[in-house]
Amino acid sequence: MKPTPGQVPASVPAAGPVGAPSRTVKIVRIVLIASGVAVISYGLLGLPTQLGAMQLVGLLAWLAGAVVLHDGVVVPLSTLVGAGLTRIGVGLRPASSAVLRGALMTGALVTLLVALLLKAQSVAQNVSVLEGQYAVALCWFWAALTLVTAAAIFVLQRRAPAAGP
Amino acid sequence: MEKLTDALAARFASPTRSSRLTVVLGRWLGLSFLVCFATGLFSHGLQNPPSWMFFPTSPAWIYQLSQGIHVTTGLASIPLLLAKLWSVYPELLKWPPVRSLLHGLERASVALFVASSLLQVTTGLINTYKWYPWPFPFRETHYWLAWVITGSLVLHIAVKLPVILANWRRPGRGPAVTARAGDSEPAAAGRWTRRAFLAGVGTTAGVLVLTTAGQSFAWFDPLNVFAPRKMGTGPQSVPVNRTAEQANVKDQAMAPDWKLAVAYQGSRRMFSLAELRSLPQYAHELPIACVEGWSQTAQWRGVRIRDLVAAVGGPADAVLRVTSLEPEGAYRTMDMPTAYVQDERTLVALELNGEILDLEHGYPARIIAPGRPGVLQTKWLQSVEVL
Repeated sequence: MKPTPGQVPASVPAAGPVGAPSRTVKIVRIVLIASGVAVISYGLLGLPTQLGAMQLVGLLAWLAGAVVLHDGVVVPLSTLVGAGLTRIGVGLRPASSAVLRGALMTGALVTLLVALLLKAQSVAQNVSVLEGQYAVALCWFWAALTLVTAAAIFVLQRRAPAAGP
Repeated sequence: MEKLTDALAARFASPTRSSRLTVVLGRWLGLSFLVCFATGLFSHGLQNPPSWMFFPTSPAWIYQLSQGIHVTTGLASIPLLLAKLWSVYPELLKWPPVRSLLHGLERASVALFVASSLLQVTTGLINTYKWYPWPFPFRETHYWLAWVITGSLVLHIAVKLPVILANWRRPGRGPAVTARAGDSEPAAAGRWTRRAFLAGVGTTAGVLVLTTAGQSFAWFDPLNVFAPRKMGTGPQSVPVNRTAEQANVKDQAMAPDWKLAVAYQGSRRMFSLAELRSLPQYAHELPIACVEGWSQTAQWRGVRIRDLVAAVGGPADAVLRVTSLEPEGAYRTMDMPTAYVQDERTLVALELNGEILDLEHGYPARIIAPGRPGVLQTKWLQSVEVL
């Protein structure tokens, strides 16, 4: 279904970003579109064979909820944080600013994960699942992350600007 | 309206975004989704085997590996998915929302792709915590959505193929350059470059993997602080998924007159615990590996299942139906294909790590076979029937 490695680079100059695609690319796209649609249909038609009407409605609600939560809350919120970081970052060297952003990205994802773990722990029924001290581990994680980030920024800031990023 | 969306788009604009960034993230994410799909199909095939299914019993840790990869890759795909969606977020705000029928179909397919991907990784993660807050069955939904996502991935690659090809190689190396933030370009004031962003995403995925993979792979155990399971915990140093209380088996399993029924073509032989212990005992080190990704290698000792089949005159290529004492439950009965029956490491285990099997681990007797999902390692045995 996919073009061989030899074909891909060859078609690049001809294709360009928006230029007329080559014949190979056209054929590959048609094959991919047909198989993609077939596989999606298989999945969509399979769902009602095992899920009841109310379960399907519930699934649709969760699908819509996932998009609304992501597009309406997660991205705007991270954009807001990013704008704040841009202001702080103006006074920092580019490398330091990148370290700060990367650290916050990692910290945010780990915190999200732990929030889910703690919620699940509060409703868990089994003794040998979710045994960890996740809140304590998260505090240590942030302490380590802060330390490493601060040290990295300290070192990067002290370098002469001529050294470049 | 267009002015409004343009203004909104300007708010969300970032020079870090570029087609090249999206293509790089798309490659990583597409690969992780395909790995999850392949390992997921393998796991599904082991549990609901089609007629052509193959059952590898060696290496014994094959399911530990495949399911560990499934869960770990799924977790790593979360930051990749968020980054990938962030890189194309301004597309969401474009006006008019639908320019033509074809454009509308494309957007609808992207909406389906995004929604099912977000739901799949989130519910997949929470399922490993054994928490089910949603109004639909997890396993069936996870399975069918996997097809929807994989099909959407193929379709999306087809639709975006010209952009993917134009940005497949680093800008400056190929003739087609559409990236705005090149490698050599300095970052805009206070921002980060594409490479720095990718390094941040990679670090995040790496941290998630390092701090959780220890539930599946022993080498990572010292770093395991954020996984739902920890190796070496639980009774007899093995974690438990379904407890005796949940399965409601305590009275029957602890009954002094418990016997294991082994049946073949109308004849039936009952084995008391003492009789099972008097048969030749074999010990094997085998992992128990769960669909939720955790696994635990342990020392199991008991009777070979093929010896029990032979004791009732069953054929060497027998297929078995094993029934638990559990009064109900999706895994009360389990069918065992010939490959496992014939494997000499498949045991009716009576001991675990040198002690009599704990009630939580299936006392008085349980199945342990190489390379099978944990839910098929039936506990609290009642009967073994040659089909």
